[in-house]
Amino acid sequence: MTLNLCVLTPNRIVWDSEVKEIILSTNSGQIGVLPNHAPIATAVDIGILRIRLKDQWLTMALMGGFARIGNNEITVLVNDAERGSDIDPQEAQETLEIAEANLRKAEGKRQIIEANLALRRARTRVEAVNAIS
Amino acid sequence: MAMAALRREGRRIAAPLISPQPINPIRSSIASSDREQAFLGVRSISTQVVRNRMKSVRNIQKITKAMKMVAASKLRAIQTRAENSRGLWQPFTALLGDTPSVDVKKNVIVTISSDKGLCGGINSTSVKISRGLYKLNSGPEKECKYVILGEKAKAQLVRDSKKDIELAITELQKNPLNYTQVAVLADDILKNVEYDALRIVYNKFQSVVAFLPTTSTVLSPEIVEREAEAGGKLGELDSYEIEGGETKSEVLQNLTEFQFSCVMFNAVLENACSEQGARMSAMDSSSRNAGDMLDRLTLTYNRTRQASITTELIEIISGASALEG
Repeated sequence: MTLNLCVLTPNRIVWDSEVKEIILSTNSGQIGVLPNHAPIATAVDIGILRIRLKDQWLTMALMGGFARIGNNEITVLVNDAERGSDIDPQEAQETLEIAEANLRKAEGKRQIIEANLALRRARTRVEAVNAIS
Repeated sequence: MAMAALRREGRRIAAPLISPQPINPIRSSIASSDREQAFLGVRSISTQVVRNRMKSVRNIQKITKAMKMVAASKLRAIQTRAENSRGLWQPFTALLGDTPSVDVKKNVIVTISSDKGLCGGINSTSVKISRGLYKLNSGPEKECKYVILGEKAKAQLVRDSKKDIELAITELQKNPLNYTQVAVLADDILKNVEYDALRIVYNKFQSVVAFLPTTSTVLSPEIVEREAEAGGKLGELDSYEIEGGETKSEVLQNLTEFQFSCVMFNAVLENACSEQGARMSAMDSSSRNAGDMLDRLTLTYNRTRQASITTELIEIISGASALEG
């Protein structure tokens, strides 16, 4: 019995195949999903999605969205998603540093919120790269 | 050659006619021949006139052919993106349902149209459907508002429903469409407009020659809860345990906002594809018509030319035979 995972973004389908297990980070913590999980609909935070195929774990950086789990079918809809293997570690580190610098420079509530979001996104990407290596 | 024929024609026609204006020899004969022709009705169309018409029709044909190719290339670029975005709203529909027949008090009709014209009848069909939805959803206690995207629908709807238009947004396609821009737009709409149900009217792109006018319905979170309790399609929603937020209604609100921006994104892309496809077929039929017109004009031109050659020959021959005696 395997789970069918679909990760969709507005621009393309990032993942569509069968997996053994996933670990998803939501607003209220991380949840692990195995086959025959109870049906839930949950919001997905900016964080890492871990996918297990046979015995290998893959990471994917997700930028917030929703997930629906039911009937051994998982559908994850996010604003953007990148596979850990597709992210360049150098570039991700640079983006993180730029985001941190922006946060320090930010003024005004709106800029601070935006800078925070950008920082979390950059951090997620760096973690996704590091988690594999 | 043509000028000589014109001059001769002018003189031939002027002779038997008692013209009210004195025949002024200083005036150019071509002008007089034109005047005489206008006077008589057009007894013979001059080749110059036909040639001018042919030139302009040929130019139009070239322009419309170029426009068709431009539309074809733009269509190719945007078609893949539209197909990729289709997968996005299907889970929402599977979870929350798409119930156009829902009965709500505040309806908002979001009409998506193009900014530029010459794209066939797609904008008129969108506006027709919007008006139909408006009629369907107005009555006692119910109100209906418009949010318009695109210049063409704005021009048509401003004429008779000016007071019902909440927001009108134009120049959507100035920058290439991307999700962030549409998400910001959706956010704008959600903030400024009170709604129970949002009905998005657009043209779905089925193939290069087939565009289906469709409407997608997005419900507000309160209505979703109401319908879920009532059972029916949305009743399945309750079987899902909702996590990831403080309360169920907060998650539902985020969910419906996300649904609206995804559905909008898909609708805008599909409408853009339909616009390019419709423009392709409109320009194609236009250049074909121009080709037909050109054929007919060529025939007329040849007939006129041959007639003038024949009359010239007749004059020469009759003049020669008259000289011989």
